[in-house]
Amino acid sequence: MKIQKSSRTGRGKIQKYGIYFLLFTVYCLLSTDSAHAMHISEGILPFNWAAFWFAIAIPFVAYGLWRVKVLSKSDLSFKPLVGLMAAVVFIISCMPIPVPTAGTCSHPAGTGISGILVGPTISILVTAVALLIQALFLAHGGLSTWGADIVSMGVMGSFAGYLTFRGLRALKANLWIAGFMAGLFADWATYLTTSVELASGIRGDSPFMPLFWKILIAFIPTQLPLGILEGAMTAGMVVLLYKKRPDLLVKMKVLKPEEAIS
Amino acid sequence: MYIFSEHFHQEHFLTKIDVRVKLLVVLSLLVMVLSYKGFALPLLVTILCLFLCIKMRIPLRVFIRRFSEPLFIASIVLILKFLFSGKAVMFSIQMGSITLTGHRDGLMDGLFIACRIIGAVSVVAALGFATPFTEIMAGLSWFKIPKGFIEILMFAYRYIFVLLEDAFVIYNAQKNRLGYSSIRRGLNSFGTLTGSLVIKAFEHSQNTTTAMIQRGYDGNIPMLKHKPFKLDEVAASILFIFAMGVVWKI
Repeated sequence: MKIQKSSRTGRGKIQKYGIYFLLFTVYCLLSTDSAHAMHISEGILPFNWAAFWFAIAIPFVAYGLWRVKVLSKSDLSFKPLVGLMAAVVFIISCMPIPVPTAGTCSHPAGTGISGILVGPTISILVTAVALLIQALFLAHGGLSTWGADIVSMGVMGSFAGYLTFRGLRALKANLWIAGFMAGLFADWATYLTTSVELASGIRGDSPFMPLFWKILIAFIPTQLPLGILEGAMTAGMVVLLYKKRPDLLVKMKVLKPEEAIS
Repeated sequence: MYIFSEHFHQEHFLTKIDVRVKLLVVLSLLVMVLSYKGFALPLLVTILCLFLCIKMRIPLRVFIRRFSEPLFIASIVLILKFLFSGKAVMFSIQMGSITLTGHRDGLMDGLFIACRIIGAVSVVAALGFATPFTEIMAGLSWFKIPKGFIEILMFAYRYIFVLLEDAFVIYNAQKNRLGYSSIRRGLNSFGTLTGSLVIKAFEHSQNTTTAMIQRGYDGNIPMLKHKPFKLDEVAASILFIFAMGVVWKI
């Protein structure tokens, strides 16, 4: 009888802790106030894919670092400036923005604006720094997925933002339109690359394309409106800088001196 | 930024261990968890790291916030794999024009990835909780990470707090003037807020450089000096990695 009683108590304890664990998990899921869809979480990619994305990201980061080193020789304030831009990207990509269609919050990438301001190669370095701090201390992204996150947010986001802005400015688009489209395409390029990385990493033996389309469609309710929100935010930022500190835009070679005066 | 480790890490044995040893153990565990084909090692690592977090007396709120996002992502991956991947059909439900099909092999794959996520997150979270930022930077410099990169990291970390304070002041001022009362106004206000942060970043970088040059800054920041390795710490870590390696091999 004693044995039966103790085994029943043991089973009861297991059930009790099981319920606690379940409640804890549900609470964690419900308390996710912000869907950080841009960051690929720690551990999601198997070792070979994590290494592959690292191999792609490292040359870009190394080139950005070399450019900062060269530019810092003539201007000692450049290194602190890059560090501060990384802090700005960190803060922007931690800010929750309500996404009406999904009934949740997501966050902007912030790489579009850094791509416009400091150029895509240094913007990749800025993103790498912000991502590493987030991975180490906030569990946004991860150490093992750092390479993949740099490729999607840093490389694709920065280049898409920079090229769109420059292309539209060359076509005489005004600052608001160019900034808006840069933010929009930077966000969508990031989301497209994240889908490729996720599909290739988690597909196992399944074919790539069907899973890629499913992930892409699953992201649409948050990322489609978020891209538009990020575009509006980037446009607002560029216009504010133009109104308040046009000299900074000239210094960062975003505008020509004659454009700032007009 | 209450969530950063400096604000709550206690005096416990993990903080006293050499950061280079901790980084080596963490990197070894990460490689093992990512390359392991099964459930045992990620679950073992998760339990071990959760136990360490409890011993470190991490506030529950911080703990939940840290794990909520990875748990959310793990659940999404699990659902995706269960419903859209695999061959062995478990059930099939007709919901109007959509047929939802659950797969046994998809479920196992999903659980496997979910375990890997939680295992890997636990390792990095334990490191983040147990080690101050400056120590991690010093550890990275020992691993021959370029000095320029570490310097930029240190600038970024230092100014996150300064810029966050600025951001809160601007945000409160905007909120008091109904800056977020509609989506359109909210977007305008958010654009102004982030634009102001960029302007402040430029100003801070100029002021900081001037102040640092006056104090002898020549483009390089000195790092923390490392003490010699402690033999017992190195031996214990090698033994631990070896034990985990045995589990990994099984």
